[in-house]
Amino acid sequence: MDSYASFRESDPDTSLESGRKKRRKIEAESQSSEYGRTDVKWRSESAQRIYSVKLVEALQRASQSAAPATSRSTGGRTVRDLANRVLAMAARGRTRWSRAILASRLRLRRLRKVRKPSGSCSRPRKPLPAPSEDRKRRLPAVEKRVKVLSRLVPGCKGIPVTNLLEEAGDYIAALEMQVRAMTALTELLSGSHSDRLGSSTPSPA
Amino acid sequence: MEVPARSNEIALESFQFHEEIRQLMAPPPENASSFTALLELPHSRAVELLHSPERSNSQAVASEGPPKPYFHCPGGGGFGFPANSAVVGRDSMCSSFTVEANGSSQKVKDEPVGESDSDPHSSSQPLVSDPPVEDKAQKPGKRKDREKKAKGSAKKSKSNCAEDADKLPYVHVRARRGQATDSHSLAERARREKINARMKLLQELVPGCNKISGTALVLDEIINHVQSLQRQVEILSMRLAAVNPGIDFNLDSIFAAESASLVDSNFSNVSFPLPWSELQANMLRQQYQQQPWHLDSLQHPMWGREDCSHNLIASENSHLSYDSPANSGKMSMHSRAAENGVTKVE
Repeated sequence: MDSYASFRESDPDTSLESGRKKRRKIEAESQSSEYGRTDVKWRSESAQRIYSVKLVEALQRASQSAAPATSRSTGGRTVRDLANRVLAMAARGRTRWSRAILASRLRLRRLRKVRKPSGSCSRPRKPLPAPSEDRKRRLPAVEKRVKVLSRLVPGCKGIPVTNLLEEAGDYIAALEMQVRAMTALTELLSGSHSDRLGSSTPSPA
Repeated sequence: MEVPARSNEIALESFQFHEEIRQLMAPPPENASSFTALLELPHSRAVELLHSPERSNSQAVASEGPPKPYFHCPGGGGFGFPANSAVVGRDSMCSSFTVEANGSSQKVKDEPVGESDSDPHSSSQPLVSDPPVEDKAQKPGKRKDREKKAKGSAKKSKSNCAEDADKLPYVHVRARRGQATDSHSLAERARREKINARMKLLQELVPGCNKISGTALVLDEIINHVQSLQRQVEILSMRLAAVNPGIDFNLDSIFAAESASLVDSNFSNVSFPLPWSELQANMLRQQYQQQPWHLDSLQHPMWGREDCSHNLIASENSHLSYDSPANSGKMSMHSRAAENGVTKVE
């Protein structure tokens, strides 16, 4: 219900026209000259649909490829990594965080075999500029938070603040979509699960 | 070398300018505007500053390579100075200085009017515009950055909003009256504009950030939001993992059961997430070709019948177009899984 309401923002009766209008509006928005509004793409219903379907497919593959008895395929962390990877795929590689997520898996595999020091992976930080008479010097408070944010967003360790903010915006929008999709999926699957366990409705052959 | 020839022409023009400026300018105020400081100096000194690698005056020129580009006259737009076109190819400091002197004099005199193009009225000061000739070393790596800034930060007409600073190649920055006008602070200001523009976007994205003022606090909110979202994803993934083993992932049977129950029971009772009608319709269509009535049942008020059919086609197209080789692989796997599922059910 919540997801439904949040989607349509209107009562179900008028959802039809508003749905169409909203879809058109979203498409128009994405095509219009809105600089920096990458989150619009993550808000669209089609994006969530695509993501959900891909996630379901990936989950199916994961549970089927691994031995059905092992919990490895459907462990919590595995599912989370899977979900993140599918999300990164949905980003189509245009953002830094998505590329970092997809690349991290390869790097992890390589690192497992060859225990390389992590220092080689991270880019050397730019040395702080020599103190000069800058107006509006970067405050240490802001600097700290920027560093924390850069740690949160994957693959954004040593990039300039401007790019970091851009990546963060896209990442937040993507995460929101991911949460929406996964909530819906969980609800759906758990609902059907309880259905099957509880009821004895014969499935149509 | 080019420099001596240019410097001659430029010296000539700068001389004329200085005369003009002297006439126009009142006694220079004490503010940070080094432009006026320049005017105080005798002409010869000014010219010398123009053309000599004078670092002491421009505080930041030495420390920061990039300031040069600010004064890059875009295309030498019709200044009418032969020097300009010659210099434009390089990082034209000297010529731009003269032009700027002209422009900025006017500007200082009467409050900045929205002058549009021709003269890059960069308020930045002539002193700074003088990139020591040797300084051409300019790391080529920074060149792109500089050029971008050059084209952009020459001036900021009032019509240009800061939000455009995000993606537009031109970042027009103009120093307002009383503000520091050396290139270094101009660079800072341009950067600040961009950062503030992005922060505004982020504020819109993160709920509850609109009322907060102050970069640090807004960033706090953003960080909290990202952390909460990541935590939610973790919890959801754990739940999903818990749900999975029980289902055995025969989604076709799941959907069959679900749709049957939906048809019978009251639709409003079931909290049917919106996109899932699509998903279900799609999967059912793939798996149960002989039962198209499932689609109708799912099409309920949310999507509308005509929309659903469109969406089905759209989603299929999106599937195919999304990532064709990978997708086709997935689709084939999915169909294989479907076949397995079907056989199991039967």
